Amino acid sequence: MIQIRSLVKVYPGPVTALQGVDLDVPVGMFGLLGPNGAGKTTLMRILAGLLEPTSGTATLDGEDILSRPERVRARLGYLPQEFGFYPHLSGQQMLIHLLRLKGVEAPGGLKRLASELLERVNLSFAAKRAVKSYSGGMRQRLGIAQALAGNPRLVIVDEPTAGLDPEERLHFYHLLAELAEDRIVLLSTHIVEDVAVLCPQFAVIRAGRLLAKTTPRAARQAIEGAIFEGTVSPSELPDLRRTRSVTQAILVEGCHRVRVYEPGGVPPPGFERVTATLEDAYLVLMRPGQGAAGFEGNGEPEAAKRRLGDPVRIPE
Amino acid sequence: MSSASGARDPRAGSLGRLFEVFQREFIHNLRRPLFWMLILLLGLLSWELSGGHASISSGDARVGGTKAWITSEYAISQLMILMISIIYSFFVSVGAGMSLIRDGDQKVGELLHATRLTPGEYVWGKYLAVLASFVWVLLMHLGLAMLFNHVIPHGENRDVIGPFVLGNYLRPALIFALPMLVCAVGVSFAISGLTRQPVLVFALPLAILLFGAFFFWEWSPAWLSLAVNRVLQFADLTGLRWINETWLNVDKGVDFYNHQRVGLDALIVAQRILCVIVGLGAVGFTGLRFAIQLRGSRGPRRGDAAATAPDLIRPEPALLGELSMRSGAPGFWAGAIEVARGEFRELLKHPGIYLFVPMILIQVFGSIVDTGAFDTPLLNTPGILAVKNMNTLTLLICMLILFYTVESLQRERSSGLAPIHYATPLQTTSMLLGKCAANTLLGLAVVLAALGGCAIVLLVQGKVPFDPGPFALAWGLLLVPTFLVWTAFVCASFAATGNRYGAYVLGIGAMALTGFYQMRGKMSWTFNWDIWSAVRWSDISVFELDRSALVLNRLMVLGLAALFLALTVRLFARREADATRLVHSLRPRALGRAALAMAPFAIVPLGCGLALAFLVHGGREGETTKKLQRDYWKKNVETWKGAKCPSLAAADLDLEFDPRASQLRSKGEYTLVNRTADTLLQVPVTGGLHWKKVSWTMDGAPARPEERARLYVFAPPHPLAPGDRMRIGFSLEGRYPDGVSKNGAGTMEYVLPSGVVLTGFSGPAFAPIVGYMPDVGVEPDKNKTDPHEYPDDYWRRVLPAALPMFDGWCDTHIRIIGPAELQHNATGVMVSEKVENGRRITEWRSDSPVRAFNVVLGRWKVKRGDGVAVYYDARHPYNVDEMLEALVAARRWYGEWFAPYPWKELKLSEFPGLASYAQGSPTNITFSENIGFLTRSEPKANAAFWITAHEAAHQWWPCMVMPGEGPGGEVLSEGMAHFSTILLTEQARGLEQRIAFCKEIEHRYGNTRQRDSERPLVKVDGSLPGDQRIIYDRGGYAFWMLYQLMGRESNLAAHREYLRTFRASVDHPLIEDYLAVMRHHAPDTTAFDGFVKQWFFGTVVPQYLIADAERVRTEGAWEVRARLKNVGTGVMPIEIAATRGERFPKRRTKENAWRHARAMLTLGAGEEKAVTIRCAFEPEKLIVDPDARVLMLERQKAEIKLRLKREDGRLASR
Repeated sequence: MIQIRSLVKVYPGPVTALQGVDLDVPVGMFGLLGPNGAGKTTLMRILAGLLEPTSGTATLDGEDILSRPERVRARLGYLPQEFGFYPHLSGQQMLIHLLRLKGVEAPGGLKRLASELLERVNLSFAAKRAVKSYSGGMRQRLGIAQALAGNPRLVIVDEPTAGLDPEERLHFYHLLAELAEDRIVLLSTHIVEDVAVLCPQFAVIRAGRLLAKTTPRAARQAIEGAIFEGTVSPSELPDLRRTRSVTQAILVEGCHRVRVYEPGGVPPPGFERVTATLEDAYLVLMRPGQGAAGFEGNGEPEAAKRRLGDPVRIPE
Repeated sequence: MSSASGARDPRAGSLGRLFEVFQREFIHNLRRPLFWMLILLLGLLSWELSGGHASISSGDARVGGTKAWITSEYAISQLMILMISIIYSFFVSVGAGMSLIRDGDQKVGELLHATRLTPGEYVWGKYLAVLASFVWVLLMHLGLAMLFNHVIPHGENRDVIGPFVLGNYLRPALIFALPMLVCAVGVSFAISGLTRQPVLVFALPLAILLFGAFFFWEWSPAWLSLAVNRVLQFADLTGLRWINETWLNVDKGVDFYNHQRVGLDALIVAQRILCVIVGLGAVGFTGLRFAIQLRGSRGPRRGDAAATAPDLIRPEPALLGELSMRSGAPGFWAGAIEVARGEFRELLKHPGIYLFVPMILIQVFGSIVDTGAFDTPLLNTPGILAVKNMNTLTLLICMLILFYTVESLQRERSSGLAPIHYATPLQTTSMLLGKCAANTLLGLAVVLAALGGCAIVLLVQGKVPFDPGPFALAWGLLLVPTFLVWTAFVCASFAATGNRYGAYVLGIGAMALTGFYQMRGKMSWTFNWDIWSAVRWSDISVFELDRSALVLNRLMVLGLAALFLALTVRLFARREADATRLVHSLRPRALGRAALAMAPFAIVPLGCGLALAFLVHGGREGETTKKLQRDYWKKNVETWKGAKCPSLAAADLDLEFDPRASQLRSKGEYTLVNRTADTLLQVPVTGGLHWKKVSWTMDGAPARPEERARLYVFAPPHPLAPGDRMRIGFSLEGRYPDGVSKNGAGTMEYVLPSGVVLTGFSGPAFAPIVGYMPDVGVEPDKNKTDPHEYPDDYWRRVLPAALPMFDGWCDTHIRIIGPAELQHNATGVMVSEKVENGRRITEWRSDSPVRAFNVVLGRWKVKRGDGVAVYYDARHPYNVDEMLEALVAARRWYGEWFAPYPWKELKLSEFPGLASYAQGSPTNITFSENIGFLTRSEPKANAAFWITAHEAAHQWWPCMVMPGEGPGGEVLSEGMAHFSTILLTEQARGLEQRIAFCKEIEHRYGNTRQRDSERPLVKVDGSLPGDQRIIYDRGGYAFWMLYQLMGRESNLAAHREYLRTFRASVDHPLIEDYLAVMRHHAPDTTAFDGFVKQWFFGTVVPQYLIADAERVRTEGAWEVRARLKNVGTGVMPIEIAATRGERFPKRRTKENAWRHARAMLTLGAGEEKAVTIRCAFEPEKLIVDPDARVLMLERQKAEIKLRLKREDGRLASR
């Protein structure tokens, strides 16, 4: 388990990226959801030992990983949000190099292991090619391969599905799910579907504060019956946005299919009640003004509590 | 696009976009520490240089004499060229070279080039911005120089600051600096743009420095033809060779340099234009290639793999668990090896290694054309090559280490791998070690390439076998610590600054400052981390001198390497530091704790550094020694300078040496005779600063002379009347040399395990010097006075000898005890020799009285001739026959021309090259291994023969006729020796070598004379800059011209009379005495007087230029017409010859048959005359003074290829 207490990170500027985060991450898949600039990557990098926090503590299975970051590296698989490789090495060479640096061992040797891992991420065809010739998706898959290697206790993946096509994304979901059976997998994303598919638990972070820690089901249930969907013309949409809590607006054949959150239960004319999705719950929480007001303690706003109900803690 | 007001938006259009790129880059550069660091460095250098420490070698060094201004256009031009070439070029390579690479690293390219911005606008905008940035730096540099030179008040450097003339600063900037900047920025830009390899951008400044410092700016032997010289001037794009060869090497006078503008000729104008073309062309080419790369218009190369995954049905992969992977942490060495392996793969793919290795090879191969004394090609031995190339290897490899190590440390960040790499369990120390080890391999590759190059040089040379031992010693033991400490420093710089530019700035700054202090002569063993020019090679004495300093220095450097590595490990940030915590860590307590943690690593370097500082301070060039010497001067100069004293009648010496400890014991007795006309109440003798356990006797009884800071003053019981004698006995022991040098200086005398060289007249190394030594304790910038000015009739007095101690003849008896393995040579003949109990004991007596004595010990083989012998190291037999031939010829011909050689044997003894000199002590010439033993004789350059002939001539001048104490005296010794060499060379070796020798000494004189402080031969005393070349070279040539004027027989007869007159005289001659004798034998006294007035009492030297030269066919013959002008001074009859063919070919054929037709002219200063020469052959060249009979300046310009005048009156092209 990862225990984070009062984690603060202030960049020169000053920019406060984390404003005192308290979080417990259990074994299994755990999602960290939030918009761009929320502080997800900052938190990931601190846990991966790549960024020094301003204050706060974090332990992994009771061991302090902030004061001695080298203690986490032997048990870590990390896929950063942005990364590159040595351009002149082939995919296989690069992977073997990283396997050696990570001290990974396998019964059949590293070369065989590298081949197997590349097979897992569908890169066998390009194993001998220089990395500089890889597409963005191929680089992402190579990054996934190195993150999965070894038997890491903690896997941190930051925006892992960027650049992957739908088939590859599904394949990656299977891999992560397999990994999460007996280790901590911390998945940071702004794609709600990733959390919905993979994570039995997740936390929502915004502007450096933890807004909520819950499960997808609990999040949906908190707004069940309050989501309505209808169609409006482009000229009507601005008025609707002013008067209602619009969670989504998708253009379909020239008109906007709009979903609104109406906790009072009185929808706009022509709107029908629909089943709430996790995306609705997330967007309701992210509404400006509603989410920011009333932060206390760990930053879970009163409004969020009213909206989402009490957080559900999954027993260890 | 227009703004609301309707005004045109400046960003619109092509020019607008270009300006936008320019503006962004320029503003960015203004904020970069790189540029401010360069300005700081230039400011510091300007401040230092405003003290007058680097000025043109011109002017009058005397008080009130005009000095060369450092603010003249010439001085600023020279300085500007050096600054641009050595300092700016490296910063340019970073600033310009990384400009495009930086955009690539920051991945802004995709965004930029998706706009309307064209590749050309982008490239030119960037280039112009970088160029403008460096022009801005240049302007700041000029401003600082003006401030320090003309605004800040001056003290001691007042004399070298001229009036402020803005043009003196702007013209050099426009002519020399700006074109070079355009070129360097453009080429660096192109290299980075085309290759995208950060390290390659440093190839340009490295090439400039290597080829400039070690070839273009230095190599200019006298035998180099003008045409080739001009080509080299053009090829050196810095312009330094041009300005040196055209304006500075031959002194035009301080008035000229202080007031004239730098005259430009077609060559330099064309070269500056070429610089601009190269620079702009490089950028243009970069733009074209960039456009091609950007649009991907190049199709796929053959062999490119398929771009997409094959369309296959993939089987369902097995579970991850089945892979049975285990996590862990790599061991220290496993991690380091893996990192090194990765780095090495990158290195091999990098083109740099294939560029820098040939660079070092070219440098090494240049050793084949290295020249030494008299531009004689050197014979390279493994040790000489090893040490000679140390500086080049240090410079190149340190630069490579800087660039490659920084880029290696930066690699993960640049490639984006850093988050993954730094998150692995690889230990930081492991990673650093792996990277450094891989980059060390690059250095090793360069060293091995250099080793291979040296082996090839030795093979081509074909005389000296290859031996890896000296290379292992010099490069392995001495250079490796340099590379280790530098690598560690670079790593620490990167770790401390956190980025590549910070590391480059610190690295280049450190090298620049080190180089600057080396040039200023302020370096010492304590700070000479790269032992630049501090090491000498001798095959005979391998690193014996200053060995303790060398060892301590290397230990200190290794300790520093460990300290820097520890700092690197501590500071290297795999984890990005928090700013708030960083501030807290800078609090005194935290800093103190950190310093304490580093303290153990500082013990070794600090300890060794302190020990070195003490050694240097107390060493033979240290402050303690200087103080003792100053005390000697202060105490005694007013009382004893010029005081009369007795001279040596006999010297009886017992010497015992323990070379392993550099110890000597000396016991002896001088018999002194008063040869002056005065009664002497006191007799001073000078002792050595290194003497211990000194005791004296006087006339056999113990004595306690008055000690005045090592001048011992004896008061004989009865005053010493003229003709009276007394005996002074002494006993002493000491270490010699006593202590280390400041920074690796050689020494003329020493006691070392490989041998001993001691003279009885240079200083009190092993026996006292009678009298006060006026040069001891005199420091050039502190208490050196202007030369003594003698009245014109000074020579008429009865003058003492220039060496008062040897005013008369003396007998010597020397007994020497030393280790059995060392042989002995001393003055006179050996009367006995025995070896017992591991000691060799020899006894020597002068078979005829002498005027000096010396002692030499060594391990030799001997080759004998008729009354001569050469004692040489068994490894150096190459030129022994030539030296023997010179000795035999000298004995015979000098004996016939001047006077028979009075002693039984003339010996020549080789000694280690700890100093480069030869000395003609009576019967025993000492000769350094590296000025004649290790040369390759050629007709045009033959140091072995010439130097031997010169030193042999000293047996006559001054060993037989000791000049008087006064101006011009030394000319009668050294100038006469040169003159004798001229005669002997023609006699024994023929006209070709004689002409070559004359040209050599003429070239040396021309390039080193200082016009404003040059004094006539009758006045020169060796105390001013340039005097030595006047004494040796002008003096020798003047005697040679006098010989021709008088005719051989008259002149030689006169010399014999001169010898007879002054050989035993109490009156010692000066030049006027010599000339008086010569005049008696002159066939034409009017011509004689005219000649003497110019060449001995004046400072004339002609210089001839040929103009309008053409050859015309007339009535079956040829006519050469030209105008000849004397642009120098003096009136001399001069021969001019129309020639065809090769005068001294290797093999004579019909095609190269030499023919000549001559005419004689007499031209005064500034005079021009037409000359016509009729030839029966078709002439090719017109040569002034083809037989080198007249001393002139810039002889190479007095030779021209003839052009044919066609029937239509036009000149044909060559």
